[in-house]
Amino acid sequence: MGLVKRAEHRAAPSRPHIRKYGRDLQGLLAQLHDDQAKARRWAARDLAAHTEAVSALCERLQVEPDPTVREAIFGSLLTIGTEAVAEGLIPLLRGEDAGLRNGAVEILQQLPDAVGHRIAALLADSDPDVRIFAVDILQDLAHPDAPAWMLAVVEADEHVNVVTTAIDRLAEVGTPEMVPAIQAVKDRFPNEPFVGFAVDTALKRILGNG
Amino acid sequence: MGRALIVDDAVTVRMYHRQILEGAGFEVDEAENGVEALERALVVPYDLLLVDVNMPKMDGYTFLKEVRSTPELRAIPAIMISTEAERRDREQAYRAGANLYLVKPVRPEALALRATLMTARGESR
Repeated sequence: MGLVKRAEHRAAPSRPHIRKYGRDLQGLLAQLHDDQAKARRWAARDLAAHTEAVSALCERLQVEPDPTVREAIFGSLLTIGTEAVAEGLIPLLRGEDAGLRNGAVEILQQLPDAVGHRIAALLADSDPDVRIFAVDILQDLAHPDAPAWMLAVVEADEHVNVVTTAIDRLAEVGTPEMVPAIQAVKDRFPNEPFVGFAVDTALKRILGNG
Repeated sequence: MGRALIVDDAVTVRMYHRQILEGAGFEVDEAENGVEALERALVVPYDLLLVDVNMPKMDGYTFLKEVRSTPELRAIPAIMISTEAERRDREQAYRAGANLYLVKPVRPEALALRATLMTARGESR
């Protein structure tokens, strides 16, 4: 057993393994596909200095099995924070991986300049789940129009889960002038008990009674 | 009746489900995401988990996989409740370890009945 352990130890020294790659963009991109998660994690972190790496980072996210590497990739994408990052992350909202979807939402929330002009298209998407993610993004998006966009969802969206998600978020940031629009939702979904509950709860919180 | 843990990042949804389960006789605790829920479940003996899919920090699928791979938690009945009505979402929920998948918004009487039946017969994986 001892010999086997020593042999394994010799076979997988971490630092020299990582050093086989160059520290330039091409070296880091190659390292991003290394067999060892530790090497991929270091590459993901160092690629934060390279705006050209956005598409490679977003592509890697979709196949990366290690959560710590995913976290490093999301961190680097946030650091880069360009339009390309928003463009690369938005398609993840349609994916089947809930962890990736939620990670993408958390990063997009922190990129108001890159996301702001894309919100209208997301809120008009034919998939109600994408519209819900758009409302989730708006919830923590530091953009002056965020409350107005959520109010527009409350007034116009036809899907009960999209509307109630927006009502839930407006309960925290809504203002008294939004009350009539929120109240009117009850009439649009008269047979949904949750809608009545969500409206009443939001109104109490907005008006300071809840 | 038993003790239930509601795992959902939406405050209104947690309040709504709490009202329903308390009306059915459950004691109810809440968690905002899978990480917080796992921490709670490891110290409180729950009879039922009510789990959303999309949450920050740890999503519902990952949370349920963790529950099913943890010996002291794996027998707890779990209902996954999501906005996603597609068949693939339902299948993903059952693969992760859900005993039942419901689509939001749930009817109060339906949730109360299913929760009561699942805990009464000790449904588990």
